[in-house]
Amino acid sequence: MTERQHWQMAFLKQARLDWEAYQRTSQAVWPTCHRLLFLQMASEKLSKAVLITGHSSLETITQSHAAFVKFMQVASKDRKLQKVLGMKKSQQKAQFKTLLPLAQEIELLAPALAQSGPNPEYPWKDASGNISAPGDYSFPLMKRLRETPQGIQLLRYTEIFLKRFEELFM
Amino acid sequence: MSQNHNIISAAESLMQEHFELEPNLEQIIWINSDKTTEIRLLEINSETFPAGAVLSFYFAPDDDFPYATIMAEITPDEWQKVQRHEIPLPEGWTLESYKVYSREMVTV
Repeated sequence: MTERQHWQMAFLKQARLDWEAYQRTSQAVWPTCHRLLFLQMASEKLSKAVLITGHSSLETITQSHAAFVKFMQVASKDRKLQKVLGMKKSQQKAQFKTLLPLAQEIELLAPALAQSGPNPEYPWKDASGNISAPGDYSFPLMKRLRETPQGIQLLRYTEIFLKRFEELFM
Repeated sequence: MSQNHNIISAAESLMQEHFELEPNLEQIIWINSDKTTEIRLLEINSETFPAGAVLSFYFAPDDDFPYATIMAEITPDEWQKVQRHEIPLPEGWTLESYKVYSREMVTV
C-alpha cells in the first residue's frame, strides 16, 4: 500500500467514525451544534478520502476545508456512481446540482470558512455586536437537512458514499 | 489505431459529455496532453465554488473508459491565478504542454 493509500484509509476511518457520532447523537438529547459538527467533519473527511488519490498535494488537501462541494460537483459526473445509483447522466447531474446549496452550507460550518458567522464549534460576534455560543443557536440548516427532499437525499448519499466507499471510489 | 489516437478520442468524448452536462463550463484544459496513460482535466466553470486551490479527483479506469482520469474544477479567476503561478497545480502537473478545449471544439 502506498503512503497516499494509507492516508486515504485514515481519512475514511475517521470520516466513518464522525458519521457514526453524528448518527448516535440523537436530536432529542444532543444540541444541534454538536450534531452538525460531526456531520461537517464527516463530510470533509469523506471528500478528502477521495481527494487524496488525486494529485493535489497533501498540504493543499489538509489545509483546505472547502472539499465537500468540490467532491459533490465532481461526483455528479462520476460514471461509476451513475451505474450504482441507476441514473442517467443528465439525471445524476441535475439531482446533485440541487444538493449543492445544502452541501455548501455544511461546508461553511467549518469555523475557518464561517467568517465570524454561525458555526458549531466556536462563539462568534454578529453584525449587531451580539456574541453567540453555538449551543444557543438554532441552526436552521438542521431542519432543512431533516425535512426537505434535498436534505434527506444529501444525508442518504453521504451514508452510501461512506458505507460503499471501497466499491465506489477505490 | 494508435494508443495516442485512442486516448485523444476518449478524452474528447469525455469532454463532450461534460460540456453537454454543464452549461456554465467555459473551457476544459487538458493538462500534459502528451501523456498516454491518464487524462488530466482542468475544467473552468464560472458556476463552481472557488476553493483557492486546485483540488483534483482521481477516477480509476473501468471497462467503459479505459483511462485513469484526474479532474479538477476551478473558476475562471482561479485559472488566471494558475497561469500566473499564484495557485499551484497538483503534483506533477505542468503548463508546459496543455490543450485548451472550448464547447464548439468537441460538441456536435
